[in-house]
Amino acid sequence: MEKKIFPQRLYGLWLLSLVASAVIALRLADIQVIRHNYYKEQSERNRTQTIFQAAPRGRIITAEGTAVAQSAPSFNLYFFPGKNNSQEDYIQTLAREISAVIKEPQEDILAKLKRAVKSGKASVIEENLASSYVLPLAELQVHYNGIYLMEESKRTYPYDTFASHLIGYLGSMEGRAWRDRDQSLDYRLDSKIGRFGIEKKFEKYLKGTDGGLYLEVDHRSRLKSIIEDKKWQPGADIYLTLNFKLQRAAEEGLKNSVTGRGAAVALNPKTGAVLALATAPGFDPNIFVPYGHEETEKDRKEIKEFNLAVQGVYPPASTFKIITAMAANEAGKLDTERYVFCNGLYDAGSRVFKCWSKHGNVNFWSAMAGSCDVYFYGLSNYIGPAVIEKMQRQFMFGLPTGIDIAGERSGNLFGPTRRAKNKTYWFIGDTLNLSIGQGELLATPVKMAQFAAALANRGKVLRPYYIDKIVSSSGAVLFKGEQEVLNEVKVKPQTWDIIFKALKGVVDNGTGRAAKISGLDVYAKTGTAQNPHGRDHAWMIAFAGRNGQEPDIAVAVFVENGLSGAGVAGPIVRAMLRAFYNIEDEKAAQKETGVDEGTSRLRGARGGAAVSAETQLALKLAREALAAEKEHAGE
Amino acid sequence: MFNIHLSDQNIKRTNTDYIFVGAVFMLVLIGTISVMSAVSGTALGAHVVRTHMIAVPAAFAAFFFGWFFNYQVYQEQWKWLYAMIIFILILVLIPHIGSYQRGSRSWISLPFFSVQPSEICRVAMILVASAYIAFNIKRIKEPLVPIMVFVIIMPIFFLIMKQPDFSSIVISFPVLLALLYCAGVNIFYLVLIFLFGFFASVFPLAWTYIYLHPDITAQSAVIKIFYGLSSNAFYIFIFCAAVCLFTFLAGVVLRQFRIYIPAFLLILVAGVIISGFAGGLFVNNKMKDYQRKRVEVFLAPSSDPKGAGYNILQAQIAMGAGGVLGKGVFSGTQSRLGFVPEKHTDFILAVVGEEMGLWGTLTVLALYFIILWRIFLIAYNSSDVYGYLVCSGIFSMFFIYACINFGMLIGLAPVAGIPLPLISYGGSNLAASMWALGIVQSVYSRRITFR
Repeated sequence: MEKKIFPQRLYGLWLLSLVASAVIALRLADIQVIRHNYYKEQSERNRTQTIFQAAPRGRIITAEGTAVAQSAPSFNLYFFPGKNNSQEDYIQTLAREISAVIKEPQEDILAKLKRAVKSGKASVIEENLASSYVLPLAELQVHYNGIYLMEESKRTYPYDTFASHLIGYLGSMEGRAWRDRDQSLDYRLDSKIGRFGIEKKFEKYLKGTDGGLYLEVDHRSRLKSIIEDKKWQPGADIYLTLNFKLQRAAEEGLKNSVTGRGAAVALNPKTGAVLALATAPGFDPNIFVPYGHEETEKDRKEIKEFNLAVQGVYPPASTFKIITAMAANEAGKLDTERYVFCNGLYDAGSRVFKCWSKHGNVNFWSAMAGSCDVYFYGLSNYIGPAVIEKMQRQFMFGLPTGIDIAGERSGNLFGPTRRAKNKTYWFIGDTLNLSIGQGELLATPVKMAQFAAALANRGKVLRPYYIDKIVSSSGAVLFKGEQEVLNEVKVKPQTWDIIFKALKGVVDNGTGRAAKISGLDVYAKTGTAQNPHGRDHAWMIAFAGRNGQEPDIAVAVFVENGLSGAGVAGPIVRAMLRAFYNIEDEKAAQKETGVDEGTSRLRGARGGAAVSAETQLALKLAREALAAEKEHAGE
Repeated sequence: MFNIHLSDQNIKRTNTDYIFVGAVFMLVLIGTISVMSAVSGTALGAHVVRTHMIAVPAAFAAFFFGWFFNYQVYQEQWKWLYAMIIFILILVLIPHIGSYQRGSRSWISLPFFSVQPSEICRVAMILVASAYIAFNIKRIKEPLVPIMVFVIIMPIFFLIMKQPDFSSIVISFPVLLALLYCAGVNIFYLVLIFLFGFFASVFPLAWTYIYLHPDITAQSAVIKIFYGLSSNAFYIFIFCAAVCLFTFLAGVVLRQFRIYIPAFLLILVAGVIISGFAGGLFVNNKMKDYQRKRVEVFLAPSSDPKGAGYNILQAQIAMGAGGVLGKGVFSGTQSRLGFVPEKHTDFILAVVGEEMGLWGTLTVLALYFIILWRIFLIAYNSSDVYGYLVCSGIFSMFFIYACINFGMLIGLAPVAGIPLPLISYGGSNLAASMWALGIVQSVYSRRITFR
């Protein structure tokens, strides 16, 4: 039959349909099984739109309970693009209406709206709206589809520059930061994150959990139903060990000092808790809170994130004489009553080393009180550099304090062993430099505070810590700062007695008179670090306790280019101690010290004074010097 | 050569192919559920359900009509059938009778619903073409027969293009080719016809692409001249002359190699290329903007994510989100929230995929496959050539419908606005498809003649 030839051709088509079915079935399986999860996610994303509400960040609270960083309610304007509100003319109208209310240029708002339309996501149009704008905008929200007024929480720092380097600031998320972040914390591109200081370091505690409205929408972004209205979970509060008044006093003091640049650190010598950690100049973290405002843009760029208290390294200068003295006493070579004549020079054989003044006849006490370099040149030459280096190591110089602030520098240990490691020679001049804390010796202000605290508690080198505790919003303690002894300085008890006596002498009748406060036992040592690049730096370390009691505060104050430890750092220490012990400022006290703020004449003034004070009593020497200084000041 | 006698054992004595009828009923059932699920809760839900409830009985009526009416009558009376098609297609173009919807005048409004005559004509066209071929089956190897088939069908195409209803053309042209192929036409002629179709479609496609991306003309002078072909008369003349010259040279060169090709064949090739090109010119100048958009999406689906490419993407999201078991009937979010466009017509498969999952889509595919399989067997067992040809045509029609619709959803074919017969909403399409399947069943029931 002739028709038999045709079915072969239909058979070909039939085979083709077989192949087509197989291809289609495989592709269906690919879409519906293998790529199911991807498409499911896409479908969920289609279906839901979320309006996030940033949770209030945890507060940062000082030891007395003053909140120095807190979250205040603020209103943000969101735009929620959809198919029916993305037309050019609609956006134009909307931008005009919004700009009429919030008094921002219409182009800026239009640009933001366009960006939102392009991304297709709910985006912030304006942050931190003033309260007067809120009602008109709420009205706009009724008339215009797509704009939403959301209550969020805004970070505020009520005391502006208070501990700014420690607390840090918030910033907008950058693309890279967003990727690096722990995704479980639910960051979005418009989230604010801690960019510096505690805000950055304890981000995960402070953050909290964002709330939000999860909406089911149709393809035109019209609301169908609210799936979930999640309330935010506030972040954990951070309790600092900072003493509010003390910190304030330190910052004031630094700000009003000669150069306005410096650092002041106060520790509790019993625990190592940081009572104050001030760096000047500070900044106002509030300027980081609004985003995209031109006026703060310039200020923001000028901010110095350099935290001098932990990142600045300087020679400790005369404050280091304490270590030289301790090393000498440990070596059994310190005769406190032996007199040395200081004519302002010390002949080291190949080179002549200068003292900053002509002290005349000094013994140990007066040498400490008047900070005589010649005395310590001789002493160090006698005991040798190795014991000094050993004592340095006991106090952990050259190592970071472990205060747990990003970028802390370790400073530099100086001594013959360290030199030997570098395969260079040690000269006699190095020994002399070491004895007065110059040379390659470097330490941060916080290191010096740790040193002061170790002196105050007779040998315990403590790790400074500034977080007292972190308490979650539900009241659970998430973290607790604790005392940590890094090292125990093992010296004879008699050594401590000598040092305490000498440091008390510095305050009572030496260079540290500025820190003398009635009712307190103040122990201090000043220092003036030679600076080959400019004016000298001023140092002062001190610790104090009420009369006859254990010291409960140790302070290190550093003023960059301050020129004089006694004249510049001293008043700051005094102000800090007053603030700490709640002692009212008496004008008499100011007169008694006779040191005007910002004086820089000590060096020149002492020249004549030392000659006239050739008495054998250290106390007398100092008093005479003071009198002479007054005379010169009067000229 | 082929062992196709297996079909003899499968189809034996019954008058009814239960597998075939069962598959058809299952598809209509799945289709009805899907359509109702797709439109429930939307504004046009009530209208669609009401129309569908009219269409389904009408479709079954058409099915049984096709089944119980002797299909051989179509062959005997093919001229009347042909005249009827032409009459209806002219009728629909008359403004007050044919109603104008969505950019084309292809509907005849009746009191409760409207009918799309081009859908019915699509099936009738197969009957007419098959009848002509069946009468001339002994001369099928001559080139005159396929040419005459096209000459007969061309007025129908022309009238459909007048509406315009391009998707009907897109389906009908390959169906006709497949029908001729199954009839045993010399493959060389089919290649020529294919070439004609190829040139008639490739030129408009390329021109449309350039039209939508004006910047690429700046890159190369060749592209600019190529685009100039669509409008510049001088270029068109040069092109035609070049084709003629080329075929002449090809003949001369082949003669040097002692390969003798009849001159009329060369003229035929040149003529086909030029007429294909002319057809392309005609199509290109008739193309509407929305059709250009569709071509655009076919050529570069990712270029317009919020436009037509967005539709495919959303349909795929819907299917993918369904997974293996689906989200459950009446609970697909993609379709219910309006992300999938045309969800009850062209993209109905996305609804099936989202709500019934892989099992749903595979079931639909399998049922289609069963229907094609049974049509193939019925064609083999038909009592006459006409029955075989009608079944081949209907086989090709369903095959091409399914391929394009499935292919569109899985991203292997352009968005052509082709519904999925038996599943999609659309009364005329459903009724016409059921009529066609009824005719197949009629071929089956009348495979043994008792004359």
